[in-house]
Amino acid sequence: MVYTKKNPALFIIGVIMLAIWFMADAGMLSGYIDHLGGKKYKYAGELGSIPLYFGVIAAVIGLWQWFGSHKEGHWDFYSSTIAGAMFILLIAMLVRWFVAPEVAVVSKMMGKVGDTGKYIHKLLGLNYVVLGIVAGIVIVNFFKVPDWAKNGVRVSRLGLKTGVILLGTLYSAAELKNLGGLSIIMIGFFVLGSVGMTLWLGARRGIPNSMGGVLSAGMGVCGVSATVASAPVVQAKSVEIAYTIGTILLWGVGCMFIFPIVGNLLDMSYLKFGAWAGTGILNSAQVAGAALAYQPDGIETLKVAEIFNITRVLVLPIIVMWLAVWYVKREQTGTKVSVGQVIFEKFPVFVLGFILLFALSTTGMFAPANHYKGKYFDNSKVSAKKMMSDADIAELQANADKVQRADQKAALERLIAGRKVASIDDDATIRGLANSKVMGKKSGKILKKAHKAVRHTAKKIKAFRQWITWLFAFGLVGLGMQITVSSMKQAGGQPAVIGGIVGFTKAVLSLLVVMLIVKDTI
Amino acid sequence: MSENNFDRGSALSIFGSDRREDFMALAFALIIAFGVYFTY
Repeated sequence: MVYTKKNPALFIIGVIMLAIWFMADAGMLSGYIDHLGGKKYKYAGELGSIPLYFGVIAAVIGLWQWFGSHKEGHWDFYSSTIAGAMFILLIAMLVRWFVAPEVAVVSKMMGKVGDTGKYIHKLLGLNYVVLGIVAGIVIVNFFKVPDWAKNGVRVSRLGLKTGVILLGTLYSAAELKNLGGLSIIMIGFFVLGSVGMTLWLGARRGIPNSMGGVLSAGMGVCGVSATVASAPVVQAKSVEIAYTIGTILLWGVGCMFIFPIVGNLLDMSYLKFGAWAGTGILNSAQVAGAALAYQPDGIETLKVAEIFNITRVLVLPIIVMWLAVWYVKREQTGTKVSVGQVIFEKFPVFVLGFILLFALSTTGMFAPANHYKGKYFDNSKVSAKKMMSDADIAELQANADKVQRADQKAALERLIAGRKVASIDDDATIRGLANSKVMGKKSGKILKKAHKAVRHTAKKIKAFRQWITWLFAFGLVGLGMQITVSSMKQAGGQPAVIGGIVGFTKAVLSLLVVMLIVKDTI
Repeated sequence: MSENNFDRGSALSIFGSDRREDFMALAFALIIAFGVYFTY
């Protein structure tokens, strides 16, 4: 069988990509880009390069597919995926560069939500990830995936796996030293507990093992990465992955509003609330939203919540291994299953890849070893231009009396004396002081500038983030293209019910643990 | 998409086995990692 279709589709996709590049390069899109944020529009750099490179590739291969002769064989099979892959990539480009920013513009016009300090598109997670899945679902259900693109849709999972492996570069074991014993124990207990409870409930309520498996990782660990990483191990269908992501996001939105209310009713300390939000809420953006809603004038709560959040990602390989063994045991009832053999035969190599790149990142190969997602503190690299000016110092000195907290006063004194932030601890304190706005708007801006001067982003990690973003965008648009309305009906409403029960139990139990165990230190 | 419609791979993948897909993903990731390492 010859898989390559002799039609102009891939060539046309290449021409569209080149047209996008040309219009951006010639300034024909500048009016629209101004509407999408002007100088704040983040994708101008991407528009000037990515559509050009991929446009040329697609146009050249497209001409060959259209006019060339094709013979049966491996080359024909694998090269036939290019048309579909480029089709997905084009949709991902449109979603990332135009649709997601347009949604953000509309969301910003609606104003911030309550005390969360965030816009609704941030809180609902309406970014390129979710909108990419939605775009894929719309295409497959309203227009059908064309025949020439079908093979390409089947490489989307390969893109997701590659993205998960590269995710390892964003973290470093050096972060572990920032994690206290309690955060590890609490997260370990609640992650494993949530996974176990979801699997048990899933079995009782009769959902497929693949659905239970992927939902358990989503409910236990957090967000899209965990769901994507665990999906191949339990042979999850696209619709099950989408359901899991939807359940997590919806549950998180509810928590984000309820957690601060409960926290205020119980008069919880920043530390207790941060620990609770970091354990009980599943999605990183929503954890941040709840923490900021609870403490709009500082970042102590947010820092604690972030520490708990990081711990969850590090548990991911353990969960994947557990699910691999669990799934094989469930699917092969009646036959004796050797755990060692299952791990050897079924353990996903791509998760080992994640661990490998995590280990390489820890060595400092890509960024200083103490980085987190590529960002690191280093006050020895502050250029003379970024040191505080005499005018800045005079402004801070004039407002120094307004600062009441002893730690903030001390950090401010050291900042004024040294003209730059003195240490990583001072950096956190100064950031909190800037957020609290007690020194006024102008001083706040100076403090934020001082904070930015000592924070650096590693170029390599920035490049990795770019790759991960595109691989996930590509993979999730393709995943959306595999979700039909009938498959959604088949999956039913059980995932949301199970997710709700597990999420509620976790929120209540973690609240009890936090109130009983957490004192003033972690 | 039904699994039976594909004489190579499955509805979710063009590869015959998950492990082969994993190794391909690992190969791509390492190529990207080394590319980034030597470029930036």
